[in-house]
Amino acid sequence: KPQTRSANTHVMVWSDIPEKSESFMFPQDKVVPVGSNMTFCCIVKEKDDFKEMMYGRQEMSATRLSRRTYAITVTNQPASGNTGTNVICCSQRLTLTGAVVFVGYPPGDEGLVCETRDLASAECSWKKGRDTRLRMKRSRTKYTLNGRDCLEANERKTWWCSSKVWEESWTLVARNPLGTVQLTDSAQLTDRVHLLAPVNVTAVEVEAWSATLQWSWSVASYKKLEMVCQLQLFAHELSSTRNYSGPGLSSVVLESLRPDVDYTVTLRCGSKHSFWKWGNESAPFRIHTKMDRPDALDVWMWMDSSNTGRVFWKPLSVRKSHGALVGYEVSQSSAEEDGRTPVSLPPGNFSYPIILNNSSDITVAVAARNPAGLSQLNVFLYINNINSQLSVSELLGTNGSFVLSWQPNVNASSGYAVEWVPTGCSGLCPVDWKKVPESDCSFTVNSDSLVAGVRYTVSVYSLSTGALTLLQRWQGYSQEMIPSQSVSKLSPIQTGSDVLLSWKATAMEHQRGFIRGYTVYLANAAHLDLIANISDPEVQSYRVKGLSPSFYKFVVKAYTSAGEDAGSTVDIKIEMDTADMLFVGILVPLGIMFCCLILISICCYKKREWVKKAFYPEIPGPKVPGDWSSPQGPLDVKPSPHSLVHIVENPERDFTKEGLFLVPEEEEESENDNIEVDTDSDEPALLRYYNQVVGDGSHSNQVSDSSGSSTASVGSTQTEITYAGIQSPTSSQGACGGGGYRPQMQSVAGPAEPQIEFEADFQDDGLNTGYKPQCSWQLDSPEAENFSGSLGSPTSVTSSQFLIPESSEEKPQPSNTWFHNFLSGKS
Amino acid sequence: MEGAADSGRAAALARLLHRDCTRLLQLYKERESFLSQHAPGGERLVTLALCPEALSTGEQVGHVRSALRRCMGLLECLIVREVEEMGEELEGEYESLRKTVRDRLGHLLHSTGALLEEGEGGCPPSPPLQCTEGQDEVDGSDSFAAKRWTYRVLLELIHWTDSASQTLHLFHSEKHGQQQQQLL
Repeated sequence: KPQTRSANTHVMVWSDIPEKSESFMFPQDKVVPVGSNMTFCCIVKEKDDFKEMMYGRQEMSATRLSRRTYAITVTNQPASGNTGTNVICCSQRLTLTGAVVFVGYPPGDEGLVCETRDLASAECSWKKGRDTRLRMKRSRTKYTLNGRDCLEANERKTWWCSSKVWEESWTLVARNPLGTVQLTDSAQLTDRVHLLAPVNVTAVEVEAWSATLQWSWSVASYKKLEMVCQLQLFAHELSSTRNYSGPGLSSVVLESLRPDVDYTVTLRCGSKHSFWKWGNESAPFRIHTKMDRPDALDVWMWMDSSNTGRVFWKPLSVRKSHGALVGYEVSQSSAEEDGRTPVSLPPGNFSYPIILNNSSDITVAVAARNPAGLSQLNVFLYINNINSQLSVSELLGTNGSFVLSWQPNVNASSGYAVEWVPTGCSGLCPVDWKKVPESDCSFTVNSDSLVAGVRYTVSVYSLSTGALTLLQRWQGYSQEMIPSQSVSKLSPIQTGSDVLLSWKATAMEHQRGFIRGYTVYLANAAHLDLIANISDPEVQSYRVKGLSPSFYKFVVKAYTSAGEDAGSTVDIKIEMDTADMLFVGILVPLGIMFCCLILISICCYKKREWVKKAFYPEIPGPKVPGDWSSPQGPLDVKPSPHSLVHIVENPERDFTKEGLFLVPEEEEESENDNIEVDTDSDEPALLRYYNQVVGDGSHSNQVSDSSGSSTASVGSTQTEITYAGIQSPTSSQGACGGGGYRPQMQSVAGPAEPQIEFEADFQDDGLNTGYKPQCSWQLDSPEAENFSGSLGSPTSVTSSQFLIPESSEEKPQPSNTWFHNFLSGKS
Repeated sequence: MEGAADSGRAAALARLLHRDCTRLLQLYKERESFLSQHAPGGERLVTLALCPEALSTGEQVGHVRSALRRCMGLLECLIVREVEEMGEELEGEYESLRKTVRDRLGHLLHSTGALLEEGEGGCPPSPPLQCTEGQDEVDGSDSFAAKRWTYRVLLELIHWTDSASQTLHLFHSEKHGQQQQQLL
């Protein structure tokens, strides 16, 4: 029966006696604080063998205290689990016995606060603090409030206690097997009022700008309580808070609401005196305010000519519409006539054209309409003195906006208005304006409402009731850009060696900035050479001096402060002066020609012998025995028989050669070479000689009979024919029938007389086919020997005409034809 | 055909319940680690010693049902005790499965009762279960003893749900076979 006593340890007494034969462990179900030390003892059953003892999952080394008693000592025990820590004592096969130990903490509760919800009873709450780790019911923390058991805290997992009566001083005792904690609190009831949430919140009167909210309290005693209530209003993601106070507050009037808005309201109240905390919040409640008439419109009028213009108005924001707009109404009236019926426009229209009948003052009024009614009319009194002769100054933009300032004006009782509109616009123009109060003398037109590269006319007016006075006007660009089109009508005019370039400035809508000047370039192959920079935009011409004759390409660019435009190009070719041209173009060639002529004359003179030989060889004249004064008329000569021409056909001759063919008189149409010779006639036909040229161009194969008709005389040419021994043929063949030798004569404008010389003395019989005075007759020629005829050919023919036509267009199929033509002087 | 279907359902429920009880013990052993190493001794809590011999399958089903009724009583005691001791704050897997087992066991008892003819396989009614029975090893409030007892109860559940599963399966096969014969 070992006993151990110590001041800090519990003493357990047991008995190791045979009567208690079952296995047994000691102590059972102890509750100890974390970190303590304990000894467990195991009494093993008789005849059971001991193997080990375990503390939780940990094997412990046991000390044997007696025959069947073993003990372990555990130090610094950690906190046990929910069901405690198991300590077991085992044999080889079985768990013999065991115990559960609960290791935890004493209570750690803190922060007792008591309040009243119903102005009578108390609710005390505190914070749990550290978990005791003791789950078992018997070791759980037990609470008493002012000596009474706290059922809410003991039974359920809540940490508050209620008390029916407010006792002004509270003591909470938290106790568990490991310790006790005492918490205290003391306060007046009025200091600890924590109201419940208002109930039955409703809106009893809902207007456009206000609403009345009502609710009730579940606690009757609230009605006497001086309370302050806080209202939270939510609308469009905006929230506002309003406070109201009063005893037992149960209704409030919400002012300064906005029409046609969805509001959500929550409400909570607290004690006004000795405010403790806000009570519970009510459930959200929705209010939708009614619509109201819209606010007045911001109206402006703009005239683009003396009697037409437009009235503009800015769209109303949702805030100012007080309800969705259904349209606008525009009405105008003038001094002469009363107001007309207003024009209704659907929403989305923001301007309306205005036409003035005469240039009198008119009143234009625009109003917006919504289901609640018509807005206040915004009257615009138009006095026709707007377009004054005020000078317009240049305005430069600053970072894309216009910074304006003007002198204050005493007449501006209603403030000023700034208007900006693209210059030169007419009709539906993007007019914009802003009315500023009279205290402001400056305004910045935002770059959002301005477009770069557009010229705006900005005007400042002073406003007073019924009057609008233009104070100042500018024109400018919010941001200058390079012109979109370059100069037009670029034309060069050459004067001598100078070129005057003139152009017209681009139209204003293409300028996109104030034209500051022009640059003139000369275009080379790959780049432009700057010739001049004209810094005066009024100058629209430039003279380029000292240009040599060549092809030039000029480029003229206009520039603004933003840069140069693409430029206009013009070409010009510089040519010589007229006088120079005359000199060069006419006189010089003339002089050269004269020089050449002189040279040629000199040359010809020096070599005149050769020239004569070459071009005008002498043709010996015919030896005329007698006086051959040429009769005027035809000379009929009875030819000697010898003079008859006998034409012998010689098939070996080449008929294709051009030759002089005798054409028989009567057979002029004969096409073949076989000319029947009139051999039967004894008397040769008369030969008729002409010493005058037969008319040229005459196609006629002139018959001797008809030759008389041929009286054409061409010019005063002379033909002298020298015959050398025309012999008649040996055979009886006479001459070619009527082979008249009619040399064709042509009028020739030439000084020289053709001289035809024959040197051939033909003894042959007749002429084969051709008589070719131009041919190179050779006595040795075999052709010449073929002559069977005894035609005495003329040895020289002197004629002032070409005897042989230059060219015959008709092919000498009939050799006769060619010959005939030749003789008749046909060309 | 209803009989076969019912018996089939009962058999399936018994099988499912057996699985649940096995899992329940597993969870309990995880919490009380000592149980995994050493099996506690002691007698069975539920026996059929007092029952007459079961000859037919139906009678066997009846016997098993009686045993399960006893198990139900033990489980109810177990739950009451654990809730009493620990409060209702614990809501772990063990606690929720414990509830499921109880509910399913109740269903199984009901469905097996419907299968049997009146009085078939019934055992003599055992005295009403006192929850403190079987716990009075040394001290009634001994936590460790309670844990061991809980362990035994859970073992009984496993044993008898397994037995019920097998018996009901056999019963179902017989029933099904009979019905096939009737149709033919």
